[in-house]
Amino acid sequence: MSNKQARVPLPVTGERVALKARKVSFSWEETPLHWVPGDPFATHTMNVLHLLLPAGERWFVHVYRQILPYIRDDRLREDVLGFIGQEAVHSQAHDEVLPHLREQGLDPTPYTAQVDWFFEKLLGDRTLPPGRARRWWLMERVALIAAIEHYTAFLGDWILNARELDRRGADPTMLDLLRWHGAEEVEHRSVAFDLFMHVDGSYRRRARTWALAFTTLVFLWQRGIRFFLANDPTLLEGKGSFRDFYVRGRRGVLPSTGAMLRSIPRYLSREYHPSQEGSTEQAVAYLASSPAALAALAAEKGAK
Amino acid sequence: MPGLRTLAVVAGAALLARRALRRRIQDSPLWPMPALTEPTSGRPRSRALRLPVTAHEKVADGVVLLRLEGHDLPRWEPGAHLDLVLPSGLVRQYSLCGDPEDTSSYTVAVRLVEDGRGGSREVHEQVCEGLELEVRGPRNRFPLVEAPAYVFVAGGIGITPVLPMLRALPEGTDWRLLYGGRSRASMPFLEELAKLDAGRGRVRVVAEDEDGRPDLDALFAAAPKDAAVYCCGPEGLMAAVAERVPDVRLERFAPSTSTRGNGAFELELRRSGRVLTVPADSTVLAAVRAELPDTLYSCEQGFCGTCQQRVLEGEVEHRDELLTDAERDDSMLICVSRARGARLVLDM
Repeated sequence: MSNKQARVPLPVTGERVALKARKVSFSWEETPLHWVPGDPFATHTMNVLHLLLPAGERWFVHVYRQILPYIRDDRLREDVLGFIGQEAVHSQAHDEVLPHLREQGLDPTPYTAQVDWFFEKLLGDRTLPPGRARRWWLMERVALIAAIEHYTAFLGDWILNARELDRRGADPTMLDLLRWHGAEEVEHRSVAFDLFMHVDGSYRRRARTWALAFTTLVFLWQRGIRFFLANDPTLLEGKGSFRDFYVRGRRGVLPSTGAMLRSIPRYLSREYHPSQEGSTEQAVAYLASSPAALAALAAEKGAK
Repeated sequence: MPGLRTLAVVAGAALLARRALRRRIQDSPLWPMPALTEPTSGRPRSRALRLPVTAHEKVADGVVLLRLEGHDLPRWEPGAHLDLVLPSGLVRQYSLCGDPEDTSSYTVAVRLVEDGRGGSREVHEQVCEGLELEVRGPRNRFPLVEAPAYVFVAGGIGITPVLPMLRALPEGTDWRLLYGGRSRASMPFLEELAKLDAGRGRVRVVAEDEDGRPDLDALFAAAPKDAAVYCCGPEGLMAAVAERVPDVRLERFAPSTSTRGNGAFELELRRSGRVLTVPADSTVLAAVRAELPDTLYSCEQGFCGTCQQRVLEGEVEHRDELLTDAERDDSMLICVSRARGARLVLDM
């Protein structure tokens, strides 16, 4: 324990940018049900994002609304405000995919109703006495968000580099949604962690909430994949297995199992800081060329 | 150390549980998590549609009529407008002027504004038949209320929201319309209005090059005192009408996306017991932040929804592009929207 003093998170300098929400919009009429051609498993694995993110990101915003009075650093406050706007727009953008799935005969409501319950009731505000208990529950959720953001940044970095999806002719609109979202996740990857370190920072809480977030994400995700495969009207045998995931990870159409496992000790390291992962430069470069982000920029200029 | 037997029992129980669970999951992948009875996800506030332009025709000097076709389009009430996303990404609002019962097409009329912000020029010059446009809405900020009588004042292209209202009024309703414009050639829908009037003299067309300025005083002197007054047209016309009839219902051509202007107003924050003034060149958000630094906001352009606040009193001029009509009834986005009157009370 003699070296404890030295083991602190080390942010990488030069990875910080001012955050702002972009007003994007997508149209889904042209997107086929299996938007990774011929690969329902990979499609539905990524489609689970549309099930989890609308409710999840609304929950982020809901929690961060309450944390604002605890922030005593103006730069961090600015970052958190930018983060909230970006997450609010992400949630709206993914929400708009769901009616499109419904039109194609795959009604996601049974699953999203459960996810809504999960975020709004189970992880929502509890009737707690003001003071320690309420603060504890708030800090617990802030730490959970930091852990989840580690994975959103991981996935964002992955999708920005997933050239195999382009080679296989995946739907460009869906790729733009995922990459715009992924790029903004990479762009703001440090905010949730910095906020957690600012208001609490306890290592035990970080490790405990990571374990909870990781198991919950794995549980919800595999459930979502099973749900989609079982209810897809075009599939006769709607089943998936871990093997399917592993194989596609090796091909590069899904994140590889090895990379996911390797990211675990990184988050749990005492020197971890999100700015050590991914590249802000790449994210900003994508946002400068994304069709949706460019249209948002044009609309903003037009409004002025 | 637990005994070998205990370990075996635990492992056996785990295996049995796994087999039982696996069958349950195969039968129904969602067993057994609770769900919200009224789910919130998957119901986006506004759905963008892409519709092909099936008609692009000139109906008067400098006015084109656009028809966008689809199937099973969302219904609308007279007075509603549509957001059109033009090819360049500009978003513009245009009043619907077709038939509200028709769910297979939307019709809007657009006047070319020479020194405008570029939206109407794009509709006139870049949009053509066959092109697909993204539309949002329809939304109604100019609803037709029930009243014993109606007076409509339309200036130029301001006739568009009035036209479906006239069609929707039941036979025998007491209404009159004053329709002003630069010249008869520049005023669309004259024939249509003559048909609606059915020779009863309810429509008065005033073309500036023939008859000069419309006589508003004579119009209101002749109209019943309890009539609902609707006005859509250039700023000068609307100001003149508002001067004579303070509770007139107005629809602006371009719901100005600029956050400034409109004059100063008083703002009460009831929960924190403060009263402040929002200057003409500032936003509600800026005024509130000076008093309550922890106020939430993010995009400052009216699309992320972070700064939504509950409105307790006062009428709001909504300038955002996000809230639904139901949300607009009792809340506003304080980063762009302003008071329509002299006072606004927020639950903050």
